[in-house]
Amino acid sequence: MTGTITPSRPVRLVRLLVGALGLAAGLWGAWLMSDLGVDNLVASGTWLVGGVVLHDAVIGPVTIALAAVAVRLSRRSVPGPVIVGGIVLGSVTLAVVPVLGRFGAHADNPSLLPRDYVGGWLVFAGLTLTAVVVALLVGRRSAKDGEHGAGSGRR
Amino acid sequence: MGLTEVREKVEGVVGGVVSRVPDEGDFTSRLRSPAVAARVGLWLGISFGLCFVTGLVSHWAQSPDPWFAFPTRPVRLYQLTQGVHVIAGTAAVPLLLVKLWAVFPKLFSRPPKDLRLLLVETLERVSIAVLVAASIFQLASGISNSAQWYPWSFDFRGTHYALGWIAIGALAVHIAVKLPLIRDLLGTDIESGTHDRESMQGEPPLTRRGLVRGAFLASGVAVVATAGSTVPGLRTVSVFGVRDGNGPGGLPVNKSAKEADVVAAALSDGYRLRVVHDGTEMAFTRADLEQMRQRTHDLPLACVEGWSANATWTGVRLRDLLDAVGAPRGRDVNIESLQPAGSYRSTLLPHQFADDSLTLLALGLNGEQLALDHGYPCRLMAPNRPGVLQTKWVTKVEVLG
Repeated sequence: MTGTITPSRPVRLVRLLVGALGLAAGLWGAWLMSDLGVDNLVASGTWLVGGVVLHDAVIGPVTIALAAVAVRLSRRSVPGPVIVGGIVLGSVTLAVVPVLGRFGAHADNPSLLPRDYVGGWLVFAGLTLTAVVVALLVGRRSAKDGEHGAGSGRR
Repeated sequence: MGLTEVREKVEGVVGGVVSRVPDEGDFTSRLRSPAVAARVGLWLGISFGLCFVTGLVSHWAQSPDPWFAFPTRPVRLYQLTQGVHVIAGTAAVPLLLVKLWAVFPKLFSRPPKDLRLLLVETLERVSIAVLVAASIFQLASGISNSAQWYPWSFDFRGTHYALGWIAIGALAVHIAVKLPLIRDLLGTDIESGTHDRESMQGEPPLTRRGLVRGAFLASGVAVVATAGSTVPGLRTVSVFGVRDGNGPGGLPVNKSAKEADVVAAALSDGYRLRVVHDGTEMAFTRADLEQMRQRTHDLPLACVEGWSANATWTGVRLRDLLDAVGAPRGRDVNIESLQPAGSYRSTLLPHQFADDSLTLLALGLNGEQLALDHGYPCRLMAPNRPGVLQTKWVTKVEVLG
């Protein structure tokens, strides 16, 4: 794909510069990392590899499976608002896993993680679902208007 | 069995396994496209850049450097940079997920047969593996840290800092490799289909523009739902905020007196604040400190975990205490806590903070007596300083040579 583009001279220069700076920054980071000791390297290495495995072997395939189920359920194609709702719900939920479980909470510090996070998540999920339903209804109505009028309701 | 037969058999088995692994061409969605990856990637890169720069500021604030002193003004600088650090990191989560989703087919592209091309691709794949691993690690560990959840045995601060350099370095290499493609993609319409894979077919249920907007929407929702920990106006809607602004004296607490194991020592009649300079030592009870001239300043408590709150502090100006023992200006000061253990039991207060007229040994908070969990009998409160270095339960102030 990249083969079709021949970069101009300034672009080649910028590439070289950015690439060299990146390499230097990465090596500096690696040196800092090695400075933290072997035990730290093993402990963090497990998490580094674990994160990639979690995404590539779990989150990626699960997303594909969920999409397949959604396609099966909607018979034809999954409506756009459902996909956007899924992105919002799924990604925000993943981003707040640590607070949902209140794993860092301390009995003697009520000001830390003070909210009812599961309750908050239910409200968030309910609002997302409502927004999806409203978007579907609005989409259906504008599609109907499109059939009667000249324009098309499809975005 | 002859050698040829063995070879044929092995090739058959390998071929069978390989044919079962999905190929890049098996992904047919037009949404998993370089055009989407470039646009989401641009904003992901911007958030990573913000995280990196603000992360450097935080590292600098926590590692006193005699050659490059951390400033005491603006008073709210660290509150701003660390708030941006955590907000940008949170915003990056949905962007990273959509970006990885868009480029997922590339994971399954078959290696080229040509040896030179294979070498180039292997190098690129290694750089991508480093980038993806570091990105996931930084976001996951950072978000866990903001919720004070540490399910690991590595040193968070050191590792997060080192991997920040590795992540930004790998990102720069990735941008350098892809620059012509990125320029081309961002310069053409997102729906145009240049650089699409041949296997893409059918009409997607959502436009590419719609997918990118969905990623931005998710990113914005993640920010609004969490940023109330540092943006007071968002407190009511931040249902996932790690703080809600409440706590003793109207301020949240990071570490309680019980957790720090200082309750008995802090409440003891024998408590003294010792101020030491070059053989001169003075001891103050809390009542002694209350007798001294009191000053009141509005200073934010801005934590490394990204939450912050503004408060009104009343207490003795640190410089007044240093003057009492005849300490000259321009000296760094060591602040010691009653805490029996912990890496922040004793902290170095650089001279620009020690001499600053706003730096207090606070005795009161928001018009009330300082709560035990906030550092009673007295705590350090300096302008533009990470919360973790605003030492609580101070028992000794030592002027360094």
